[in-house]
Amino acid sequence: MTIEKPAKPSLEERIYNYVMNGRVVKSIIRSGYPNTPRNQMLMVATNVFLHLHPTRINRTHVKITHTFCLGGLSFFMFLGLTITGVLLMFYYVPSVERAYEDMQAIQSTVRFGFLMRNLHRWMAHSMVLLVFMHMMRVFYTGSYKPPREFNWVVGVLLLVLTLLLSFTGYLLPWDELAFWAITVGTQMVGSAPLFGEANRFILIGGYEVGANALIRFYTLHVIGLPLITTVFMAVHFWRIRRDGGLAKPL
Amino acid sequence: MASGSESLQKPISKAVQGRQARRREEELLVWPDLVFIEFISALLFMLTLTILSILINAPLQDRANPSHTPNPSKAPWYFLNLQELLLHMHPAIAGVLVPTIAVGALMAIPYLDNTREGEGKWWASPRAKINAKVGAFVGFFGTLLLILFNESKHVWLFEKATTLQWPSALNWLKNTRAIQTEIPWPESIRSISIGEKLFKTELLGLPPINLVLDIPKLLVEQIIPMTTMIGLPIILAVVAGKMNIAQTKRDYAILIFSAFMATWLMLTISGTALRGAGMELMWPWNVKPPVT
Ligand code: HEM
Repeated sequence: MTIEKPAKPSLEERIYNYVMNGRVVKSIIRSGYPNTPRNQMLMVATNVFLHLHPTRINRTHVKITHTFCLGGLSFFMFLGLTITGVLLMFYYVPSVERAYEDMQAIQSTVRFGFLMRNLHRWMAHSMVLLVFMHMMRVFYTGSYKPPREFNWVVGVLLLVLTLLLSFTGYLLPWDELAFWAITVGTQMVGSAPLFGEANRFILIGGYEVGANALIRFYTLHVIGLPLITTVFMAVHFWRIRRDGGLAKPL
Repeated sequence: MASGSESLQKPISKAVQGRQARRREEELLVWPDLVFIEFISALLFMLTLTILSILINAPLQDRANPSHTPNPSKAPWYFLNLQELLLHMHPAIAGVLVPTIAVGALMAIPYLDNTREGEGKWWASPRAKINAKVGAFVGFFGTLLLILFNESKHVWLFEKATTLQWPSALNWLKNTRAIQTEIPWPESIRSISIGEKLFKTELLGLPPINLVLDIPKLLVEQIIPMTTMIGLPIILAVVAGKMNIAQTKRDYAILIFSAFMATWLMLTISGTALRGAGMELMWPWNVKPPVT
């Protein structure tokens, strides 16, 4: 009977082990490098970002054509908008005197400013589209059925919040487009039979779009609405897990 | 004892009952299977958007000037559907009532269609596709026809096709507004002073009501649009039901949701691409950027 001796680890294996199971990597990823099913599940379960997911998921839901990643991409847009938005805030002052000049500076003199602004703009449009498409996919896959009714309602709120986020941001460049779009948009609010004018006054802080409107829209856009949206997104994601993951055929 | 444990096992609510059993043998690991897809799709989007951002600048027009209005002035594109509606009815209906009801109705969908039919799979119920197609078709082209009617395009078509004048006896059929302006309504119903005739609030020491009711105007701006927006979907549902296209709650949900989304799309397209100076209806290639 010959006893097989394990081969001596090669140099690469030793380096690999040293790095991947060494103290530094282990201190970051407790479970070790995710190269076994056990470690992969631990990776998802113990990582604060990844644990939005379950550790295992139904085969059909991994297929791209089931969700087209639309909800995930909506969320990705939200993250991207937060990052580019914070960068834009470094340069932008929401006052009638400065707003437009700051925009010009961002577009022309700030290094990579144009990229930040363009990305922020196109991501905002994409997010509106993606959220709409996500709603359609949830509808046509019949994924709002019990017990997911309430998460659909949360979703509709997220849709409204997405539109409001986009709308409040629209005023900030303080150019013709911004000014008149918000004037037209808020006139619709003002036409409500009850408290229409009062609501419009509260929204834009006066009878006309001006300095008060700018600071109100800015505050809503950069802190008020993002906070509320974050809360509802947290509820949305939590409920997906609580409702037993994505809907599947009975 | 037995009954106690039984009641413990009983699902507390429909929602808990609704939770589906996990079938472990059909499951994959999230890492790597799902995380990989998420990573790739995020990467693709980031890449596309970056290239787009390098190629196309976000618009920045002249500095805002409250004293001159560009023509046309338009809201952001996702609100142009409402702005299109605004051209056809009372602003309170188009700007406030319709969006409020639309959001409320969207939220109500799961409570109206509370069956489990067609769950968890694209087009899972037998009549899903046909209802989506019929709803979308009717919504899209029905809305287009209504817009064209209100812009008197049937008059244009008639005069183009027959080289005759539109008969003046039918002037009230030129568009909805013509019902108010082309019919000799008696003066008495054109201005009914509510404050003087009905509610004499000043007798109670309250401020007088200065509301003057114009019945033809009310008809054109409020009653006809509301009847249309409520009536046409009901007719669609009834006809689809009679033709056995829609049979279950899920069928009706798909039918009406598709019709609504297509209507919304048509209104957005019209408000964005078919409305030029003065919000006149025109071919998309004639729609120029606003003149200021
Ligand atoms: C900011 C907006 C939103 C974000 C970030 C978001 C995110 C997500 C994500 C990541 C998922 C997982 C599955 C997927 O990707 O499709 C999901 C599922 C879901 N979403 Fe959203 N969502 C948003 C808006 C909406 C809207 C507008 C609705 C409906 C009106 C909605 C209803 C639902 C429902 C019912 C599910 C569960 C689907 C299932 O069980 O298959 N969400 N959402």
